[in-house]
Amino acid sequence: MTQKSYSPYKGYTLFLLPGVLLFAVFIVLPFLTNVAVSFTKWTGIGTPTLLGLDNYFKAFGDATFWASFRNNLYLIIGMTTIPTIIGLLLATVLFDYISKRFGHGVASFFRAGFYLPQIIPVVVAAIVWKWIYQPEWGALNQVLTTLGLEPQNWLGRPTTALPSVLGMLIWFQIGYPLVIFMAGLQRIDPELYEAAAIDGATWFRRFRHITIPLLRPEIYIVILTTIIFALKTFAPVYSMTLGGPGSATMVASYFSYKQFFETSNVGYGSTVATILTVIIMIVTIIYVRVQTGQERRETL
Amino acid sequence: MTVGTQSKPTLANRLTSSLSLIALVALLLVMLFPLALVTINSFKTENEYYDGGPFALPQSWNTDVLRTTWESTDYTTKLLNSLNISLSVAVLAIVLSLFNAFALGIGKVRGKPLILLFFLLAITLPPESLVYPQYYFVKAIGLYDTQLAVILITAVFHSAYGTYLMSTVLSAFNRELIEAAMIDGCNKLQLLFRIIVPLNRPALSVLFVFFFIWTWNDFFLPLIFLISNSRQTVPVAMALARGERNMVVTTQSAAALLGIIPCIIFFFLFQRTMARGITAGSLK
Amino acid sequence: MLKRTAILLLLLLLVFVFGTVSAQDQTTLRIWHYEAADSAMGVSWDLAMQRFEELHPEVTIEFELKTFDQIQQTAQMILNSGDAPDVMEINKGNATAGLYAKQGLLTDLTEVAAERGWDQLLSPSILTTSRYDENGIMGSGPIYGVTTYGEFVMVYYNKDMFAEHGVEVPTSLEEFEAVADTFVAAGITPIAIGALDKWPLTQNFYELALYQADRDFVNAYELFQGDFDFHSEPFTFAAETLVSHFEKGYYNPDAAGIDYDDANASFVQGLAPMNLTGSWMFGTFLSSITDFEWGLFVMPGKTLNTGSGGNLWVVPAGAQNKDLAYEFIDLTLQPEAQTAMANAGGIPVAADLSQVEDAHVLELNEAFSTIVANDGLAFYPDWPAPGYMDTLGSGLQELVGGTMSPSDFLDFIAAPWQDYKSSLS
Repeated sequence: MTQKSYSPYKGYTLFLLPGVLLFAVFIVLPFLTNVAVSFTKWTGIGTPTLLGLDNYFKAFGDATFWASFRNNLYLIIGMTTIPTIIGLLLATVLFDYISKRFGHGVASFFRAGFYLPQIIPVVVAAIVWKWIYQPEWGALNQVLTTLGLEPQNWLGRPTTALPSVLGMLIWFQIGYPLVIFMAGLQRIDPELYEAAAIDGATWFRRFRHITIPLLRPEIYIVILTTIIFALKTFAPVYSMTLGGPGSATMVASYFSYKQFFETSNVGYGSTVATILTVIIMIVTIIYVRVQTGQERRETL
Repeated sequence: MTVGTQSKPTLANRLTSSLSLIALVALLLVMLFPLALVTINSFKTENEYYDGGPFALPQSWNTDVLRTTWESTDYTTKLLNSLNISLSVAVLAIVLSLFNAFALGIGKVRGKPLILLFFLLAITLPPESLVYPQYYFVKAIGLYDTQLAVILITAVFHSAYGTYLMSTVLSAFNRELIEAAMIDGCNKLQLLFRIIVPLNRPALSVLFVFFFIWTWNDFFLPLIFLISNSRQTVPVAMALARGERNMVVTTQSAAALLGIIPCIIFFFLFQRTMARGITAGSLK
Repeated sequence: MLKRTAILLLLLLLVFVFGTVSAQDQTTLRIWHYEAADSAMGVSWDLAMQRFEELHPEVTIEFELKTFDQIQQTAQMILNSGDAPDVMEINKGNATAGLYAKQGLLTDLTEVAAERGWDQLLSPSILTTSRYDENGIMGSGPIYGVTTYGEFVMVYYNKDMFAEHGVEVPTSLEEFEAVADTFVAAGITPIAIGALDKWPLTQNFYELALYQADRDFVNAYELFQGDFDFHSEPFTFAAETLVSHFEKGYYNPDAAGIDYDDANASFVQGLAPMNLTGSWMFGTFLSSITDFEWGLFVMPGKTLNTGSGGNLWVVPAGAQNKDLAYEFIDLTLQPEAQTAMANAGGIPVAADLSQVEDAHVLELNEAFSTIVANDGLAFYPDWPAPGYMDTLGSGLQELVGGTMSPSDFLDFIAAPWQDYKSSLS
């Protein structure tokens, strides 16, 4: 290591200034206000009434609220594992195989096609998926009956409702990791693969020992953001099941939204939102700690 | 599977390639099925829908519904509004993300994990919890019912995601390259725009696409902060096609289709820049 | 990149310019509503706007069509800002109009209503949803909004299918059940229902409850007057009967997976003989049903019926042109606009029915008039507390799905209602 009279890595704080400033004004201050409101009873207009910790006691005893987290957990597991794995495999196939065999155009075409669900507004997608899940004439039941299987009341039975919502979310989500991984794959030096191939490594070994380690940043990003998206799932529930049947598909974010905009219970809604945020933040903190620890080790 | 080198077109290879292509096309059709449904239902008349249901093909490709929806929702204005907002947000959010990530990913800023968390806070917050405070603030500074309010809030919001993604990517950036550039007398701005940006085009393009599409499809903020119809965006206009308890499916589909097409066009235009990645040679 | 930035900066500039150029040299009357242009209300109010412009050439009307969601979610914020229009449509009920009235966001219209005779034109039961007290509860207090139409729930039925199976329009609940049994025996699901949307079932439920209810019940439940027990006869009867109707096969067992639009579609397609829903679907049925004869009847054998006055015209407290607003509201109540509404398939509050030609429309309006004449408007089951629709809907889904007993269901829906009542000082 040569001695440097200055470090190339100091003095970057200035670049953070505009971002942090705008952030503080539009995100942090409103959030702190939200926390303050969580101790009050308020309809959103007029003066709030101070309540102390009452809202929090109510939230901790609210069975529907905590039941909704159970549903979120189910969605997290489903949404982080399946689309990520499918996305990783698809990205590798498209980038490595299709791209080389049939050209970049074909690979791009497939990527665009798989990403298209993400472009459709969730509200619209929900309408279409309601058609697919319709118990009497829906596409899914039609396919099942042709195959000789039992048609189901997908969105109408508590046991099948949440898996059905998950099914739609997986369909929606696949394009996201795919696009990120394909961008990431472009960072990897192809010569690494060629060297490994010459040494006789199979596709799977190359995948496991080159692709995955070098895509680690992207994998981190995808998993964390998918967990957060899963915790904030709102639109599919709002558009398809309204949390039903009963509260079988109730999710934390929809529960929070209802307090703000359906019951005009802005105080309680703020409480619920604050608790939700704290939980997500704890998950994120642990995650980012692990991630930056890893990165620090790798750059040394 | 082989990579890069010449592979002889053996039967096994041809079979694998045909099978994989077929499998991919099949998967693609499943993925695009919902989009196809929206399309065919946009061209039906209401009675055709009642007669045949959503899965039947339209008897004639009737554009009446599309045309009336276009006019009744004042689609052209909404299109321009959405375009304006989505582009502005994408650009602003990328600039903010880039600057933040430059500091966090390349530089050694004290308290990096905490600052990163600070930004990630935005993604973890339920948007409805911020709405009332933002409403009062925006009203106080006279930006209520303006597109600027929506642009600023959305851009700042998305910059959280962008900061996280770019700083993660930049943390893995080749340090030797940076040091070499610094030795050559490069200052920070030059480093950023001459080296970092060009070499990270794929990631930045991905961000641009994400931000544009997420902003385009955002229903919530425009609903809250844009109250004049002339300033409204496409997703809210689409909702105009539906009443309180009545929904004409064909109009809804037509509105949906009109809302999706600009995004699709944008994506197809832009994904070519995503694909135009760097070759390993420039690293040398 | 630079070029693109330049283009969007230019776009931004254009938007700013057009946005800020709103010269107010002429008086403008700003009107908002969210009824579709081709709906009965839309047609009627459009006529009123035209008449207004003829009578007041110096005033321009600036009309904006909104969506229901927009107003529901942002009405409070808009009314609280300086950007509210001069007159707008809002939803009636404690959770909306009552809440805004309580917060001082609406103009008190009592005097104007007396001057212009609105309070004579509208019957007391219709006016219930116009008055709100200091707690935001409807029924008493100043008049804050005026409605121009009514709505109610009824059974639409397929005359051809009835004739085919030899059944007549029932005159009691027992006869209604007998009609349904006949269809079940013939392998046809008698009643269309879309329980996926949660709210439709609440109306079937409430209609059944009204068989055992009286005006005191309605006042206790909707207006919080006096004590109320959820386990009393009306709701117990309703819960148990609804369950038995499902068990007898009157409804599709997969109802919780079918949405409201599909249920209506099945009626339009001639698959379901009966459809219990509201007058808001009348216009759609009138224009969409071409294959068979159809009619309507209210659930027979009771006086009370789900229904109320329609959405309200309100004048925001900060409106600029209140007198013009009152003029406009008055025009929507004039015979011309009201008759137009009837002819377009609506239920105006003050139309001359002799001017109506269509037989279906006459049937609709006569049914409503009868209910009002018998003081039968019982409002809607979700009105008492904000967000109550979701509780009722979820509970009903579980009730008919078999995951909740009638008794547990009643406790489940009682809790939020009682919470809200105790929060009223």
